[in-house]
Amino acid sequence: MLLEMDSITKSYGLVTANRNVSFNLRKGEVHALIGENGAGKTTLMRILYGMESPTSGHIKINGQPVVFHDPTDAIKHKIGMVHQHFMLFPAFSIAENIVIGREPKKSMMFDRKKAIEETISISEKYNMPVDPKKKVADCSLGMQQRVEILKVLHQGAEIIILDEPTGVLTPLEVKELLASIKSLAAQGKSFIIISHKLSEIMEVSDRITVLRDGVVTGTVNAGETNEEQLSRMMVGRELVKLERSTLETGKPVIDVSGVSIKGNKAKPLLDRISFQVREGEIVGVAGISGNGQSELLQAISGLMAIDEGTIVIQDQNVTGASVKQIRDSGLAHIPEDRYLWGVSKEATVSDNGIMGHLASTSKRGILNRKAIRTLVSEWVDRFAIKTGSLNTKAQYLSGGNLQKLIVAREIAQQSPFLIAAEPTRGVDVGAMEIIHGELLKRREERAAILLVSSELTEIMKLADRILVMYEGKIVGELDAATATEEQISLLMAGGKAVG
Amino acid sequence: MDKLKDTLQALIQPLLAIVAGLLVGAIAILLVGGDVLETYREMWKGAFGNFFFLTNTLARATPIILVGLGVALAFRAGFFNMGAEGQMVLGALSAALTALYIPGPGLIKMLAAIIAAIIVAGLWSAFAGWLDSRFGMNLLITTLLLNYIATLFAGYMVAYPFKDRTGSSALSQTQMIDASAMFPKLFQGMTVHLGFVIAIVLALGMHLFMKHTTKGYEIRMMGGNPLFASYGGVNRGKLMIISMFVSGAIAGLAGASEVLGTQYRFLDGSLTAANYAWSGIMATLLANSNPIGTAFAALLLSALQTGGMGMERNTDVPLEISSIIQAVLILFISAKITISFIKRKKAGAKDGSAV
Amino acid sequence: MDQLFDVSLFAAALRMVAPILLAALGGAICARVGLFNVGLEGMILVGAFSAILGNYLTGSITMAVLFSVVCTLVFSLLFAYMSINLQANVIVVGIALNFLATGLTTFSLRAIFDVKGAYYDKDMKGLPKLDIPVLKDIPWLGDVLSGQSILVYAAIIIVIVLQIYLYKTVAGFRLLAAGENPIAARSLGLHVKKTQYVAVLICGALCGLAGAQLSLGNVTMFTEGMTNGRGFIALVATMLGQSNPIGVAGASLLFGFMEALSYRLQNFSIPSNITAMLPFVVTIIAMIFFKNSGYKDEAKKSSGSSR
Repeated sequence: MLLEMDSITKSYGLVTANRNVSFNLRKGEVHALIGENGAGKTTLMRILYGMESPTSGHIKINGQPVVFHDPTDAIKHKIGMVHQHFMLFPAFSIAENIVIGREPKKSMMFDRKKAIEETISISEKYNMPVDPKKKVADCSLGMQQRVEILKVLHQGAEIIILDEPTGVLTPLEVKELLASIKSLAAQGKSFIIISHKLSEIMEVSDRITVLRDGVVTGTVNAGETNEEQLSRMMVGRELVKLERSTLETGKPVIDVSGVSIKGNKAKPLLDRISFQVREGEIVGVAGISGNGQSELLQAISGLMAIDEGTIVIQDQNVTGASVKQIRDSGLAHIPEDRYLWGVSKEATVSDNGIMGHLASTSKRGILNRKAIRTLVSEWVDRFAIKTGSLNTKAQYLSGGNLQKLIVAREIAQQSPFLIAAEPTRGVDVGAMEIIHGELLKRREERAAILLVSSELTEIMKLADRILVMYEGKIVGELDAATATEEQISLLMAGGKAVG
Repeated sequence: MDKLKDTLQALIQPLLAIVAGLLVGAIAILLVGGDVLETYREMWKGAFGNFFFLTNTLARATPIILVGLGVALAFRAGFFNMGAEGQMVLGALSAALTALYIPGPGLIKMLAAIIAAIIVAGLWSAFAGWLDSRFGMNLLITTLLLNYIATLFAGYMVAYPFKDRTGSSALSQTQMIDASAMFPKLFQGMTVHLGFVIAIVLALGMHLFMKHTTKGYEIRMMGGNPLFASYGGVNRGKLMIISMFVSGAIAGLAGASEVLGTQYRFLDGSLTAANYAWSGIMATLLANSNPIGTAFAALLLSALQTGGMGMERNTDVPLEISSIIQAVLILFISAKITISFIKRKKAGAKDGSAV
Repeated sequence: MDQLFDVSLFAAALRMVAPILLAALGGAICARVGLFNVGLEGMILVGAFSAILGNYLTGSITMAVLFSVVCTLVFSLLFAYMSINLQANVIVVGIALNFLATGLTTFSLRAIFDVKGAYYDKDMKGLPKLDIPVLKDIPWLGDVLSGQSILVYAAIIIVIVLQIYLYKTVAGFRLLAAGENPIAARSLGLHVKKTQYVAVLICGALCGLAGAQLSLGNVTMFTEGMTNGRGFIALVATMLGQSNPIGVAGASLLFGFMEALSYRLQNFSIPSNITAMLPFVVTIIAMIFFKNSGYKDEAKKSSGSSR
């Protein structure tokens, strides 16, 4: 066995990312590691690459126990990693990116000619053609991926870890990448591939290990399984259907039509997105994060300019309007990243609470402290927010309590349209129940809600209709009552809808 | 609990900085062969020793408080306005010229001078804000460069078109303003004048403004996390131009107060040589942009400066010890900002969401 | 106009370019490793003072320049420690160092030379002027290029050396890498902090030279705050030159020429107050061509995301 990871456990405080995970790799094998967001795949690979040390468990290479303190140790043992977010230097040429860290030199001078020769020879050897003098910034993402793999090969790697390698690639680039992986494996290189995308995994890998909530749920041979079985192994839990009434939906509250954002990459960030959300309806947007959801939210809320299309809220055309105008037209917004967008950490709980509520908490430009106190303490009670006082700085609140504060603030807008992006990311079960209950209550009150979540279970539980986003496009629309998780996972992974 | 802890921390760090400053100052005193205790005693006397010295310190603190308040406003919103010097000089020049050439009774002259200073300095400062929000030109650098242009321009105005040619003096300065337009002194025979009262009222006013108004709220949120403020509907470009206008206007008021209360004319170089504007920025940094704290920090810096003068009169230790102490104070304050940064990072890590 | 654009104008321009250029190169190296050095002004001031002090103490020009470099190195270590190890806000540290430089130099001026405002000693020797053999006999060019202080030539050579260092050597390549993408550099096992220290120290040494040229280059004297905004102009030259030595040299030439021109215009009965604005006005206009990265990106970089 080339590589053995034995009973690896990794805990961060109370959170256990990996529990007793065992994983192995044969020479010349492609071994896929799959699982939902937060299942612990990336943590396991960071341990293997020396970026984290395991709480317990050990690693053996060719039967010899090894301990890695940092990536340099892993590189020495011929392990290379291609990160999900590429570790490239955009201003440098392809050749420079490939040789960095092991530059050919003439005394002190960097021998760029030799670097180009080495690049050409390695790219010919593995049949992955590149233009050595081209700047990486000018390369497509597929080409950048190829540069990453060549860099790892140039470092002499025998074991190559690919973290979500196809997430950002076009279908054609994916095909080329999969072909390269197969041919490299045939030449004796071994691969570990982390992915969500079942069809690609089925095509390229020899064995598949499934992680769920930090635990291995099984290792299977690719030839003896199918996508449905893998989906079940990944999700694996029964859904608790919440009590909910069937509501007659009303008129559309928001109408998004033909919205595109070009961005500066080969693929547009948003590609002709159109949908409506009606009164009394929760529309879920499912998708692996990074497929355009963030851009869609920022476009609707006025934080990002759009290149094409129109957005109408409550019969007002708000295309190109300011954040304030859009909010005034009837939008409330639970942002996807609470620390980046949702709060000011240095400010107090009440200061964070009144953003967007100034109209009701001030008179002629003067803040009404009493009204603020009444308002915010009501939220603290209703959402069971644990805080020292209303004057405690937001940074001293736990993530879950901060999230409850943000949700309370936005729900209290009583706006006809509510965006709920990752409303329960990183919060405990209790907080999750409160937040879900409040969202459903807004639905009963006939608000239109757009729920964006990378947690499929959350969407299945709350949504009436489900849109699936993939590579900046809406690739499917399903009725939540009849859709299955398998169907949605397939669409999320870029597959075709079944039925 | 948290509030008490915060208040204590807010107090302890400036105190530590002062102690460190005095320690380094002591080393410098020893280096030039002075007696540390004796020197500091003279310094204290020079700053607060008797009523005259005390009021003198207050008079010197007046422009520093005002500039500090203006800068604090911009800093609070997260905008590095380094242009206080130019804004103050233009304010002073406008005040002097207005008081000289506007007809009418003294009170009208005085008010017109103040308004002119506020408008001119405010627009000058807002111009830098506009350059940043419109063209993306780095505010820190433009405000620094605009200082030089403003002081040179003011120098030109009093060296040529508005030069005082009545006296025999060859100085570049305007004529003296009418006595009726001058700020009244607070005590007979003492230097401290109406400007000090204005500065204190403004410090209290700004404290209330920041805490209790919606605009103050928006400024605080913009400075804390610009993305959060934008998400909440605050327009950054507009807020930048408005807060830069007010920030510059207050620096202009500082200039007007110096002209109307102390110098009674605009004399080229007199404001820059006294380093009022930079002391004001230091005061703001020391107080972490808190208005009341800025006023106290300005008093401290002023006391160091007037105390230094007293010390120089009575010992062999040079006045410049004061600038060393001030510089060490500021260095410690940058370290303080670090400490809160580390704290924030820890708080972020507490969340524990791993992936 | 013939009188305006004569030989001595260009010779003076070259003399005035040197301090700006040297400091701007230092700023460029810092910018290349991700440190925006607002403290250039203070570093030059320390350099200018310690050059005079070194000259006063040793009487040797070589020792004076060396002393100035050493003092500025120590001073720049403070910047490095606070911004790299303590991770303090680089801008605040830069501003603080400018204050400290002003305080230290005015104090030392008083404590050591017992003068206020300025120190001048007519017997003190300045930097030697070099006559370049063949070059000096070429009519116009010789008068401009030859007979400059040794640091002017040093500045030109340093531009070339830095250009080679950054774009031809392995060490320079890694320095660029550390600044371009520190996370990626760390993942390759490159020492990003060490690289940043090296960059700040290079910057310190260059500012030391810049200061020496300022106080010993033309007239041998030190006046309080004699940098007079040159550090900030150098900072803009760094930005305009895209932190590339040749580009920085171009931008510095422009600003140095404006400074020389501003002095020259005084001879044409234009008030000095107006002519002295020229470098600053030109600098601000030049900034229109350099765009700040948007505040959103800045905020995203500095704010700890929960992801």
